[in-house]
Amino acid sequence: SLGRERDQSLNLDSLKEIGKKALIDALNSVNGAKTLVLDPTLAGPLGLVTEVSLLKHHGVDKMFWLEPGPLSSTTTNIVYLCRPLIKYVKILADQIKRHARESLKHRYTLFLVPRTSTLVSRILEEEGVLGDVTISSYNLQFIPIAEDVVSLEQDNAFKEIWVDGDETVIYNSALALDTLQKLYGPYPRIIGKGDYASRLATLLSRPLPEQPIPGEFNKPVVTAPFDSLIILDRQVDMITPLLTQLTYEGLIDELIGISNSQVELPVSLLTPPSAPNPANPASLPSTSAAAVTPVNNEKMKKHHLTAATDPLFAEFRDLNFSSVGKNLNRVAHRLDEDYKSRHQAKTPAQLRDFVGKLGGLQSEHQALRLHTGISEILVPITRTDIFNKSLEIQQNLLASYEVSKQTSAIEDLIAQGAEMQIVVRLLCLASITAGGIKAKSLESIKRDLLQAYGYNYLPLLLSLSASPLSILLPNPLPVSTAPSVAASKYPFTTLRKSLRLLIDDNPDALDEVENDISFVYSGYAPISVRLIQCIAQKNGVISNPAEKVLTDEADGKGSSKKLYAHPILGWKGFEDVLAAMPGKTFDIMQKGPGGDSSPPSISSLLRSSEQTSTTVVFFLGGCTYTEIAALRWVNRQHKGRKFLIATTGIVSGGSLIESIAGFGKKGPGSKDTSI
Amino acid sequence: AVLSLEEASRMTDPSAVTSAVKAAHKFFSEDKDRTFEAKMTDESTRLLAFQQQLEKEADGKVTFFGLSVSETIRTCLLNGMAKKADRVKADFKVPDKRFWYLKLHALTSMRDFEALDTF
Repeated sequence: SLGRERDQSLNLDSLKEIGKKALIDALNSVNGAKTLVLDPTLAGPLGLVTEVSLLKHHGVDKMFWLEPGPLSSTTTNIVYLCRPLIKYVKILADQIKRHARESLKHRYTLFLVPRTSTLVSRILEEEGVLGDVTISSYNLQFIPIAEDVVSLEQDNAFKEIWVDGDETVIYNSALALDTLQKLYGPYPRIIGKGDYASRLATLLSRPLPEQPIPGEFNKPVVTAPFDSLIILDRQVDMITPLLTQLTYEGLIDELIGISNSQVELPVSLLTPPSAPNPANPASLPSTSAAAVTPVNNEKMKKHHLTAATDPLFAEFRDLNFSSVGKNLNRVAHRLDEDYKSRHQAKTPAQLRDFVGKLGGLQSEHQALRLHTGISEILVPITRTDIFNKSLEIQQNLLASYEVSKQTSAIEDLIAQGAEMQIVVRLLCLASITAGGIKAKSLESIKRDLLQAYGYNYLPLLLSLSASPLSILLPNPLPVSTAPSVAASKYPFTTLRKSLRLLIDDNPDALDEVENDISFVYSGYAPISVRLIQCIAQKNGVISNPAEKVLTDEADGKGSSKKLYAHPILGWKGFEDVLAAMPGKTFDIMQKGPGGDSSPPSISSLLRSSEQTSTTVVFFLGGCTYTEIAALRWVNRQHKGRKFLIATTGIVSGGSLIESIAGFGKKGPGSKDTSI
Repeated sequence: AVLSLEEASRMTDPSAVTSAVKAAHKFFSEDKDRTFEAKMTDESTRLLAFQQQLEKEADGKVTFFGLSVSETIRTCLLNGMAKKADRVKADFKVPDKRFWYLKLHALTSMRDFEALDTF
């Protein structure tokens, strides 16, 4: 059951506690009342580790967003909390200089997240205010965003690495992964793929600077020690984020948008109906698409999507969206039965029993309303022509079916006014899967795109074609192309076969779709997760291991027959597949605490068959909700191994394209903040 | 060149935007592998100039500056400047397909059923 499985996974609460404690320590290091000036992009991540009241308790009098313009503060202390970006430091310097001109006396403290940088001190020096600022750091690292997922919540990591050439986030990832080791024990082995992933592994295998971990927190009891760390960088599999995620949570991210686990929804969905009336089962939300259509000007409110307090979300988040409606219906009927059970309550004891359950029923009722409402927002969009054409183009490209026709289908989407990110994703997908787009049609479609969405997207198109990203290329490549671009060609059609990416839609294979990671894209398996299977579930790459479990379950033997996961043996058996893919392949044995670097001892191999161990999977540059869902599926096929998914952030194709275009999520509008 | 374009996207003053895009155009034209980009930045400056002209003709009541080619056509249609829309189509060689979609949507949103009938 779920409860038992949870017991075997790592307790991630410590990470949240550390984040919280470090923030308190930072605030307490500044005596007295203070004004907090906050980097707007940190509000979301901070909201996941703390609440506003905590800040108030530690002397924060007022909060402002860190944004250009004057700052008026009633307290002597002004505390800045931000990522070490040049634009922020310039704003800060400007505000200090304004105060000086008006001869206002303030004490300035700057906490950089997650660590200080010499660049920041240099800019402050250039601006002539270095002496006025006390610089320190707030070491915010992995934040638990689900019971098995931790994230640095660095939304721009991908763009910083692959477009800006800024590798800071790689170093920060190394430090954060090192903290995990200090808390939960060492990674005996680091395996992975990708040039930047390899750079990260190298950093990790060398001594890193000591990082203070706040003293008073409960050191977690480790029941499932790490057996390895798998690192994949996003470039290893660019195809996956370009596709439309078809799981419930993935589709919410695609069509509504999830930011730091928060989703903006109409207020009416989030407030329980004024008088929940168990006497009237008709008050249960209908699952038809007609009921709640969000009115355009209805007030929106942020909602924290979390399985921790929402059991229905836990049940639905990883399902293919096509089966969510059916499940909503089932829950509605069950709830209806439960409400009706009060009629069977004859004795006072039975009645008391029912009343005791009522609270639970009502919160489940509210969760049902919420997810019905969300589905009713999603369904009409999934029925639009643009959505379905885009899916069709994706499927054709993945199957290399009538490739040249897909380019004109993309042109049609531009003409119909599809969103820019949808069009750009399809174009990149066409380029990667077919090894480039015919030069002439690429040029005309790029021109089309710039005319439709604006010439200001020219830098985006240039970034996508530039090395090391190179995901929008002409075919054949012009002679002047850098050799590095030519070398990065992606062997998609080979991988499609060797990694069993596409599950045929012949009737016999339909069951397999349900029972393979490909369910997350209705018949396509994410390459990233197949690569993880190459390491942690080798048979799952070649065929479907769920079949055996299914037949066993039909025999009534149930999941107790689940096999133990095989030990981690590196890339064994898939060396050729990996060699054909661009990017470094690595498998590093870590030195143990005693300086022992011998391959895994017999005892560690034995242990893995008796005791549950944890495999950390780190996505450098972000992962999608579908990849998380697929890994959870792999998790369920065996006993003895748990995945801990770690990432620089949650991404979707849309968020990647928008961050490269530089029109990412806008900061919150108002000047006063609330976390 | 990209830096000039980024600068252009941050600026609001029309003449400054135009000159930044022109600067980008100059950089691109000097690189023989950047003929596409040079062509696009050239189109971009032509559009900006035309948009300023449109704004003048609309007595400053309609904003055009900074819109994309498609948005310019749509705005023309929505403001009864159909002739100008045709002119943009011709000047920027807008494919018929995209143009007719734009026209259809504009007419529908204006509920111009008469024009829709003759569409």
